[in-house]
Amino acid sequence: MVKRLVARAVLSAFLLSGTALSAQAAGTLKVAVDSNLNTLDPAKMKGGQEYVAAYLLFNGLTAIAADMTLKPDLAERWEHSADLKTWTFFLKKGVKFHSGREMDAEDVLATITRIQDKATGSTARVNFEIVESMKAVDSHTVEFTLKSPYSGFAELFGERQARIVPRDGLDTLASNPVGTGPFQFVSFAPGDRMVVKRNPTYFEAGLPKLDEVVIRILPETASQVAALTTGELDLAWNLPPEAVDKVKATSNLKAEAVPTSTWDGVIMNGTTKPFDDVRVRRAVATALDKQAITQIALFGYGTPTHSPIPPSHPYFNKDLPIAKGDPAAAKKMLAEAGYPNGFEVTLYTPAGRATRERLGLAVRELLKPAGITVNVQRVPFDVFLKDIEGKAGFYIDGFFSRPTIDTSVYPWYHSRGSWNAALWNYANPAMDKLLDGARQATSEEEAKKLYGEVQALAVQDAPGVIPYVINHVNGVSARVQGFTSHPMMFLDLRNVSVGQ
Amino acid sequence: MLLYTLTRLAYLAMVLVVMSILVFLVTQAMPGDVASMIAGQFASKEVIDAITVKLGLDQPLIVQYGRWAAGILQGDLGRSLVLEQPVAPILMEALSRSLVLAVVALAVVTVIGIGLGVLAAVRRGRLADQMVSGVSYLGIAVPDFFWAIVLVLVFGSYLKWLPTGGYAPLSDGFVPWASHLVLPVVTLVLMLIARIARLTRSSMIDVLQTNYVKYARAKGLPETVVIVRHALRNALLPTITVLAIDFGLILGGVVVIETVFSFPGMGRLLLFAIQRHDLPLIQATILIISTAYCLANLAADLLYAFVNPKIRHGMGNA
Repeated sequence: MVKRLVARAVLSAFLLSGTALSAQAAGTLKVAVDSNLNTLDPAKMKGGQEYVAAYLLFNGLTAIAADMTLKPDLAERWEHSADLKTWTFFLKKGVKFHSGREMDAEDVLATITRIQDKATGSTARVNFEIVESMKAVDSHTVEFTLKSPYSGFAELFGERQARIVPRDGLDTLASNPVGTGPFQFVSFAPGDRMVVKRNPTYFEAGLPKLDEVVIRILPETASQVAALTTGELDLAWNLPPEAVDKVKATSNLKAEAVPTSTWDGVIMNGTTKPFDDVRVRRAVATALDKQAITQIALFGYGTPTHSPIPPSHPYFNKDLPIAKGDPAAAKKMLAEAGYPNGFEVTLYTPAGRATRERLGLAVRELLKPAGITVNVQRVPFDVFLKDIEGKAGFYIDGFFSRPTIDTSVYPWYHSRGSWNAALWNYANPAMDKLLDGARQATSEEEAKKLYGEVQALAVQDAPGVIPYVINHVNGVSARVQGFTSHPMMFLDLRNVSVGQ
Repeated sequence: MLLYTLTRLAYLAMVLVVMSILVFLVTQAMPGDVASMIAGQFASKEVIDAITVKLGLDQPLIVQYGRWAAGILQGDLGRSLVLEQPVAPILMEALSRSLVLAVVALAVVTVIGIGLGVLAAVRRGRLADQMVSGVSYLGIAVPDFFWAIVLVLVFGSYLKWLPTGGYAPLSDGFVPWASHLVLPVVTLVLMLIARIARLTRSSMIDVLQTNYVKYARAKGLPETVVIVRHALRNALLPTITVLAIDFGLILGGVVVIETVFSFPGMGRLLLFAIQRHDLPLIQATILIISTAYCLANLAADLLYAFVNPKIRHGMGNA
């Protein structure tokens, strides 16, 4: 009797679970990211995995499209004064937050005020330091007055942290992220998964197509690829280069690759010895073979470059040769700088970032023939942020694509650039003049010429070596329709659907 | 027995207090800090200072500890500094998953491990004994991550019988939930079973040579009765202790296994908290793990005392 009852219970459980499986929404997309999300509050986001959530749940005033052009998002249009100092954004009417309330100008002001607050700790704060004042002209018009002319101001609203959030839910964003985005928040289990569902009142008609998106946190690449193969997953976001060949070789999978302007760099801090001598920095740059580094660090899934400006950009300086690695010439430069026998130096790499660790090892091997002995030291990421970045003499770092050419270059190379002093402390009045001129360039030709010179100077002064820009690759199941990889590494799922 | 239990509970409370102070001091001594982590790359000192003040990390250590301890006494485990959410629900979710893993794995290990140990002891020197010993050596010698990867490749990627990793809540259905547990449980069993089988074998061999077992056999009792009722009960004493420790080990998080299988349990939660210097989350996680360890040991001791009355009357030398 008991046996029979148990058998029945087990059978019922199986039948029920079968029902549960088949009852899952037909339009459910299962996505994998490789690391936990630290926060769901867009202003505080710093990692690519978090940006994935940001673009599902929120919108900006403007959007950077896949062709890298700027498109309207929550703002239907914008205007600026002739002197580029007054910018007016006209918001779309009838756009609702997931809470049901209509988004208006006060929400925009509250969002930017919060980003500007130091205690928020938003990395986008430096972008909005240029804002002198802002006001709501009416319920759907916002006006910004800038401290200085800036032609790229509208692009800043396409940035990852500048997502418009409701003024009446600022304190609960981390646990209850309410936005205007195509999907709305359902649940988040740290270390396991985040679930979002279709926003029925999304302002773009007929979008999104999916009913639900499940973002699973799977740290092991091998598990991600295996799960893609078995159909447990539909999409693996930002595959590491070492996994791409495996995905390509699997019949029901595609590797969706797109060039980006995300880069890794070998940083040489100009305030520390021996890197305060430009000849030493040049010697290091001369000894490094960028094509070989791209092969070692990225398995070839990237492109050698001179600066953060990628070879795919129209302003890329094609006349400048890519360094091929010349240890003999590097030795000669070192001897001129007073290091005839080379020198020994510690190179710090952030632990757990495989690409940058491989880059560190490549640098070590390529500098040996030039007489430079490099001791690579892996440092936990939190220690790296606190004690290495901006302080150590020689280390590996890396940066996500920025939305505009100005935001990609100016902060690093201008002596007053927001990230220059926190990285390599580089200052050259000629570079400042070029970058200031480029900000006010009135024609494409003029801008291209100036940025071409910026790249030449960046190579000549070598505050660091930027060996490559990486390709962003997503592993995608054949069931997934309508997906393309975004050069900013955003996960745009508005037009995506899944077949049976 | 009641007095013995109360005394042990008092010890447990003391251990937890000392543990909480130790964890607090160790996390303070760790390089890096949560404010820099939250502020991210290129944050100015002003920004880091502003976050430090906002989080109350500028207060003296004793004040910070006092605040935290007072919260604990009121049942409040604090708020995660990074996730900006109460710690308790996050912890409970991870703990419940680890608990399922621990209970299922331990049940399998107990039944099969003790069975194999008894079989090897009874068939001492014969083929069965040698096979159990061989398998045990293999289990001890091969690291857990190797088993885990082999299992993923064979049953996940190649045969496609089971999920390669992750976790499915019971709300997804019984089969998805159970199938996600199979591979981590099998890995844990392979990792733990060898020790249990070998320990049971050696203590069983000792017990089988005692006079009371010889006497029971001389009385003409069936061999099964001799082994199960007379020998096994005493032979299991050291095994109970090891099982309790193993239970604590799994609850405390088996980081390597949880990482390979992307299993969101206590181990990965603690790793997440440590990597981000999330002090309240580190403190609460370690406190829960310590409590689990202590309770598992207490359960083992009580079981020991129940089985062996000498111990609870202070006559044991264990």
